[in-house]
Amino acid sequence: MATSPISDKVRTSGWEFITKTVDKRAIMKAAPKDPREELAELEAKGEVKVIHITEENRPIEVETLLGRTKRIPTNKLWHHKSCGQCGNIPGYPTSIMWFMNKLGLEYLDETHQTSCTAWNYHGSGTSNLVALAAVAVRNWHRAYETGYFPLIHCGTSFGNYKEMRNLLIEHKDLRDEVRRIMNKVGRELVIPEEIVHYSEWLHVLRHQIAALKIHDVSSIITTVHPACHVWKLVPEDVIYDPNIYGGQRPAPTTAILLALGAQVADYSTWYDCCGFGFRHILTEREFSRSFSLERKIKVMVEEANSDVAITQDTGCTTTLDKNQWIGKAHGYNYELPVMADVQFAALAAGADPYKVVQIQWHTSAWEKLLDKMGVDWRTSKAEYEAYLEELKSGREPEQLYVPPVENLNLH
Amino acid sequence: MSEEAVVTHHLRLDPEDVGEQDAESLLDAIKSDLRYEEVIHGCLNCGVCSGSCPSHRFFDYSPRIVVQTVLSGDAQAVKDMMDEYIWACAQCYTCAMRCPFHNSPGGLVMIMREVAVWRGMEAVHRLLKPYGRVLLKVLSIGNQLTPDMIQPDFFPDWGPKIPWSSTDLAIKRKAIPVYTLQVTTSAWRVSPETSYELYTIYEETGVFRLIEQIDPNLYEVVSDMVEDLRDMIESSR
Repeated sequence: MATSPISDKVRTSGWEFITKTVDKRAIMKAAPKDPREELAELEAKGEVKVIHITEENRPIEVETLLGRTKRIPTNKLWHHKSCGQCGNIPGYPTSIMWFMNKLGLEYLDETHQTSCTAWNYHGSGTSNLVALAAVAVRNWHRAYETGYFPLIHCGTSFGNYKEMRNLLIEHKDLRDEVRRIMNKVGRELVIPEEIVHYSEWLHVLRHQIAALKIHDVSSIITTVHPACHVWKLVPEDVIYDPNIYGGQRPAPTTAILLALGAQVADYSTWYDCCGFGFRHILTEREFSRSFSLERKIKVMVEEANSDVAITQDTGCTTTLDKNQWIGKAHGYNYELPVMADVQFAALAAGADPYKVVQIQWHTSAWEKLLDKMGVDWRTSKAEYEAYLEELKSGREPEQLYVPPVENLNLH
Repeated sequence: MSEEAVVTHHLRLDPEDVGEQDAESLLDAIKSDLRYEEVIHGCLNCGVCSGSCPSHRFFDYSPRIVVQTVLSGDAQAVKDMMDEYIWACAQCYTCAMRCPFHNSPGGLVMIMREVAVWRGMEAVHRLLKPYGRVLLKVLSIGNQLTPDMIQPDFFPDWGPKIPWSSTDLAIKRKAIPVYTLQVTTSAWRVSPETSYELYTIYEETGVFRLIEQIDPNLYEVVSDMVEDLRDMIESSR
C-alpha cells in the first residue's frame, strides 16, 4: 500500500526520535552491571576499601530479583539504628536485639552513629548528594573500624545507602569529594560488600526464629505491607523466592510469617505506599490519613479480614498505626493493629509485650490480637506499671544490652 | 537552552546561588545534576507512572507531566512546577519500579526539589515552615525524629493514646531495655564526637551555608549549638 510522503516523513522522524533520543530500552535488555563486581575492581585498584562479609559474620546466601546471589551476614553485626524506630516505635529495635540474644549472636549497638538523614532529604531537599554520601560513608567507616558489619534497621536508610553505594561506585568525582571530607574527620572511604536490611537478616534466620515460637498463630490473618524504599528504590538486589508469591513479590516479611505458621492474606493494594510521603506525614497530613485509610487499612480489613498489618519499615509502621483513630470522623471505624514483622515474631516467641515489644507505644488497638495469640498482656501491663514506679524510685533499669564501651574512639 | 549547553554535571549546588531563579538557569541546574542521566532515559508518555502514583489519586499531580515538562525544555513551565506542584510527590518510587524505560520520576522530582531549595524559591520558605523541628534535630544531632517530638499539641489527630506517650517520658524511655535508647531529646545517645564529625560534613557540603541563607533564625539556633559542642570537644582534647 502506498503511503504519502508526509506520513513517511513523520514516521521516519518519529522513529529517529524514538531510537536516538527516547528509546534507551536496549540498554535494559542486559541486566545492569553488578555493582559488587565494579566495587571489587575499585578495591583491586586501591581506590576504595571494602567492608567484607567474613566467615565470622556467618553469611547465608539468597537469590535476588535479577537471580544474583546475595550474602546476608547473620552474626557480628553493627546496629545502624533508625531514628523513627528508636524515637517512636522503640519495640522495633529491642525485638531485633532480643532475638539476637536468644540466638546467641554477637552485635554492637553504640553511640557513634548518626541517622542517614534521608528522611529529611526526601521531605525537604535541604541536603545534597555529597552530604548524603558523606553521612553514609561516615557511618560505614565507623562500623568498619569496630570490625562489625552494618545491619540497617530503616528501609529508607537501606534504599538510600544502596543508592549512595551505586553512585559512589559509578562516579570518581563523588568518591574524591567524599574522600576529601572523610580525611577532614579522620576517616576513610569504605563501602560495604552488601547493604543489608534487618528484614533480610530476619528472613534468612526465619526457621531458627520460628523454632522459638511458643504461641500458636495459625488462626491469625496477617496482611503484609512491603516498604517502598526497601523494594522499589533500588530493586535489583531485593530478595525474591519462587516459593513466595511465585517469585513475583519480595520474599522477606511474608516468609517469616509463613514460617511462624500465620496466615498471610492477599489484598489488592499490596503494592501501594502507606501514605507517609516524608513531608506529607508532617505537612500534608490529610493526604497521609486519607491514603493510609482508604488504600491500605480499609482494604486490608474489608478484602482480607486481617487481624494485623505487618510492616518492615519505620514510616509505614507509624503512618498505618497512627492514622486510624482520626478516620472515625469520616466513618472509618477500623481497629487494625500495626506492627513490624520482628515485633510479631517476638510476641509469638514469648517476648514480654510491654518490656520487650513495647507494644504500649502503638496507638491502634492491639489488645484483641494479643488475646487471640494467647499473649497475657494484662499481667505484663501490671508488671510494667510497677516497674515504672520502681524506676521513679531510683531503681537501675533492666538492659537487654549495654555497649561495651560507650565512647569507644578507634580512629 | 540547547542540549549542548549541558556539558558538565555537578555534584552539588552552591549555597551562594540562593536567589538565582532565572528559569533557564534552574533547568540547567536540573539537567546537569550528576543523577539526571540515571533517572531519565526518555519517555513515551505512556502514563504507567501516573497510573500507580499515590499522589496522583489525591492531588493535582502527575509524574508523567513532570517528566514530559522537563523533557520539553520549557524552562518557565519547569520553574512553575517547582514552586508547588512537585512537592505533592510522596517519594515512594512506585513510578520508578513500574516505568518501562526504567525512568525514576521520583528521582527527578528529588533533583528538582533540591534545586528549588538551593535557589531559595518562594514556595520553599512556606513549605519548610512546618518542618523546622525536624531540621533543628537533623542539623544539631543528626537524628530526624526524637521521642520528645511526639506531643499531643502537634499530633492531636493521632488519638487519645498520644498524651500517654509524652507523659513521664524520661521514665518510660528508661524502661526500654537498651541503654542507647534511654534518652528523650535524641532517638538514641549520640556521642559528641559523632555530632562534631557531622558538623564538618554539613560545613564542607554547604548545608550550613544553605540554612543560613534560607532560614537565618534556625541557623542562629543551630550555630550556637554547634559552637558549644565544638568548644566542649576541642577543650577536652
